[in-house]
Amino acid sequence: MKRKWLLGSLSGLALIAAAGCGDNLENAAENENERNDNSAANEGGNEESYVDGDGELVVYSARNETFVQELLNKFEADTGIEVNALHGAEPLQLEEEAGNVQADVFISNDLGGLEYLNQQGLLRSHDSDNIDTIDEQYRAEDNEWIALSARARGFIYNKDMVDEEDVPSSMEDLFDEEWADVENGYAITRGGNGGMIGNVSALRYEWGDDRTEDWIDSIQENAAGIFEGHSDIRRAVGAGEHAFGLVNNYYYHQQLEEPDDNNVGFVYPDQEEDEMGAIANAAGFGLVNDGPNSENAEIFFEWVLEEENQLEFVGESLEVPINTDLEPPYEEAVPFDELHVQDMPLRELGNYFEDTRELIEDAGLDLELR
Amino acid sequence: MAADRNDNGLNKHNNSSTEVGGNSSPTLRRLLKRRWTDMWKGNPPGPILLLIGLFVALVMSVPIIYVIFQSFAAGADSWLRLLGGRIPQLLWNTISLTAAVTTAALLIGVSLAWIVVRTDVPGKGLWQWMMALPLVIPPYVGAVTYIIVFGPSGWARDLWEASFMYSVFGDYPFSIYSFFGVFMTMTLFTYPYVFLIASASLRKMNRNFEEVARSQGMTTAQIFFKVNLPLLRPAIGAGAILISLYVLSDFGAIAMLRYVTFTAAIYYQRAGFDIPSASVLSLVLIVLTIIILWIESYTRRKNKFYQTTNTYKAPDTLKLGKWKPFAFMYVFSVFGIAVILPIFVLVYWTVIGAEVGAIDTDFFGYAWNSILVSGMAALLCMVLALPIIYLKSRHPSPVSTVIDKLSYSGYALPGVIVALGMIFIFNNHIPALYNTFYLIAIAFVIRFLPQAMQAGEASLSLVSPRMDEAARSLGYPAWKVMFKVILPSIAPGVLAGGALVFVSAIKELPATLMLRPPGFDTLAVRVYYEASESFYHQAAPGALLIVLVSIIPLHYLLKKY
Repeated sequence: MKRKWLLGSLSGLALIAAAGCGDNLENAAENENERNDNSAANEGGNEESYVDGDGELVVYSARNETFVQELLNKFEADTGIEVNALHGAEPLQLEEEAGNVQADVFISNDLGGLEYLNQQGLLRSHDSDNIDTIDEQYRAEDNEWIALSARARGFIYNKDMVDEEDVPSSMEDLFDEEWADVENGYAITRGGNGGMIGNVSALRYEWGDDRTEDWIDSIQENAAGIFEGHSDIRRAVGAGEHAFGLVNNYYYHQQLEEPDDNNVGFVYPDQEEDEMGAIANAAGFGLVNDGPNSENAEIFFEWVLEEENQLEFVGESLEVPINTDLEPPYEEAVPFDELHVQDMPLRELGNYFEDTRELIEDAGLDLELR
Repeated sequence: MAADRNDNGLNKHNNSSTEVGGNSSPTLRRLLKRRWTDMWKGNPPGPILLLIGLFVALVMSVPIIYVIFQSFAAGADSWLRLLGGRIPQLLWNTISLTAAVTTAALLIGVSLAWIVVRTDVPGKGLWQWMMALPLVIPPYVGAVTYIIVFGPSGWARDLWEASFMYSVFGDYPFSIYSFFGVFMTMTLFTYPYVFLIASASLRKMNRNFEEVARSQGMTTAQIFFKVNLPLLRPAIGAGAILISLYVLSDFGAIAMLRYVTFTAAIYYQRAGFDIPSASVLSLVLIVLTIIILWIESYTRRKNKFYQTTNTYKAPDTLKLGKWKPFAFMYVFSVFGIAVILPIFVLVYWTVIGAEVGAIDTDFFGYAWNSILVSGMAALLCMVLALPIIYLKSRHPSPVSTVIDKLSYSGYALPGVIVALGMIFIFNNHIPALYNTFYLIAIAFVIRFLPQAMQAGEASLSLVSPRMDEAARSLGYPAWKVMFKVILPSIAPGVLAGGALVFVSAIKELPATLMLRPPGFDTLAVRVYYEASESFYHQAAPGALLIVLVSIIPLHYLLKKY
């Protein structure tokens, strides 16, 4: 009796639920189609000589899974090498596992992390014919890591809520308490986020530690939302839950591509002559020293540097490819040479990585969520 | 090691020492042997059984011991930094949430139990088990559904803005990402523990006490506070401890609602591989847990209540009268928010997911991984629980008590600490197994073995030791008694324990997240990831499957209380 009653009411619920799907169904279908399109496109693949590869490749990735998984699927399809990925891995895991190396490739969205690992001697160099498609400033000294896609920090804002003039125009602006009073406030990520670590490192390079510490305290105090990742911020700003948010520029591109909640704008801060310029960073990869499948890692190295795969690395993130010969997947993206970018060599981020983490931890921003 | 002192071991030891030592050893040997037998009340276990028991106890407690050790090795620097800044804030976050949730869950659980058991609320029979249903929804799944409904862009906001409320009160005022949001979610998915325990104890309550009170002119309210409530004290204590330990250990719901407690902080510190900080925070959390356990045992010792059974009369049903609609509304609205709403949301998004093809080969791959590790853990738990409960029930002694208690250490402590200890141990000392899915299964065993032990113990207590003795006297060795006599009689209990472990393991999140090897995702991990990326149609099918699997042991839980 009881069971029947329960079943009956559950199926009743199911019917009501099924009847009301509508909008959400369309959005979900779109998302799902994107996933499928990409895997279908991959199957055509390229007819290179990789197909006879075998064994596996262990990839640790600090990037958002959505941006990386298709690249890895394409690698599997092209080479026949099985990829085992750990998403959400942080650089220090590789350091901790140095005596018991697990990963072959590390993919990161913060060059600071990559260069830090390189300085610890945990990455190894390799070469490929295509290496020169990437400008030297986007590679480690002996190609221990290679950056493939660039991003700049800035403010995504909701055009229904604020005008461009009412969004901060420089990192310095955030010292001001007035931003706490903007309608619905603004959003940042937790300090453990790779993008935020790079951001803080760049400010330390520019301002020194004391001022940067004050800056962290200000944003921690004044931000209305502190999120785990940038995708949350772009969605929240798009939906009007917050007026603006500190993100990487490509999250703006992503939000523009959304079917709704897409009335957003973007401000590249510090663009005046006398200002520091937008904070840049890049996503890239490195081969791990003594990885368990080093031959497959080398295949990956050469494979990913092929131009078609460089574009796949950029993939759905809609970042700007570092290889200037490539057409950016998001056409309207502002090319890097039209931006006033901070003059810090990106490799420098590696020197700041460890202390930056400590600074963020001391401020408590790594554990702050709201 | 202790088995060395057993017959064979002692003889060998003795032979070697006669050569060196001389005449004193036979006396020593007899003395030791008598001590040993006395400790076991004249019935020492076989060496193999004892060795297995000790080994299990060691495995169960080693990760935690390792974490404690690491936290002391972290150095004064880490300690000072954390004590100065982080720990006070985390203590406040954690303790305030634990206290608030425990109090609210007690209020809701006891009041619901009283209404459902003692009054003539409509649907009485159904409510008795339906109010326990939130137990099948893991809080992180519940949290996702509440974000979908009450979140800043949720259904409730849409309703609010479409209604007159918008023009009267302005913007949608409720924030799910707040203390209140976490508090509400945790309370609604944990109160059934109190409800079940309090209902059981209300049902057993003797009517005679109440009749005496009534004859003295007390009102129903006075009777509740003066008679019923004191008799409920043990039940309330047991419920409170379950809930507060749960709040201390939860990661999923708390992380999704953007709140930070010790458990979440340990998780984030570990994710950044800041191992010293993670171990220091773990030690504080271990101490918190021990304090709660101690408070519970202390209050239990101070309050002893006896009910005489020979004059037992079943309690009568109170007439609600004009309060009937209110009581019904109360019961129904709790059920609506804690069961109907989440299930509705999950079904809704599962339907969407199914239509766009989210239930694909990947999905079945994740489901298979979940079944693989959970099934492995359930099997291991059933096997490992046997020697421990057998030792405890057939060979009671201080040694078996210690083994029994150590086996509970992983159960009482949060999964993040168990996982943290295992990462240390396997990465540094057993690298061959590090980053394999066996680690997840072992973590599940450490976390959930006591569930299998409790279920087995209940069955074993019904099998008279005379049966073993009879079998032994007919010449069966101990292991044969175990397999031929004991096991067939307690098999249902052991299997029920295995099922409990299986379900707990399928739902488990933090240890799985921390220990999963590359390329190995389970349903729980996917639900967590997809939901945190707002891909609800991807998250819902897995979440719904977890909920459905969790219904399996509900029958057993309802019978237990």
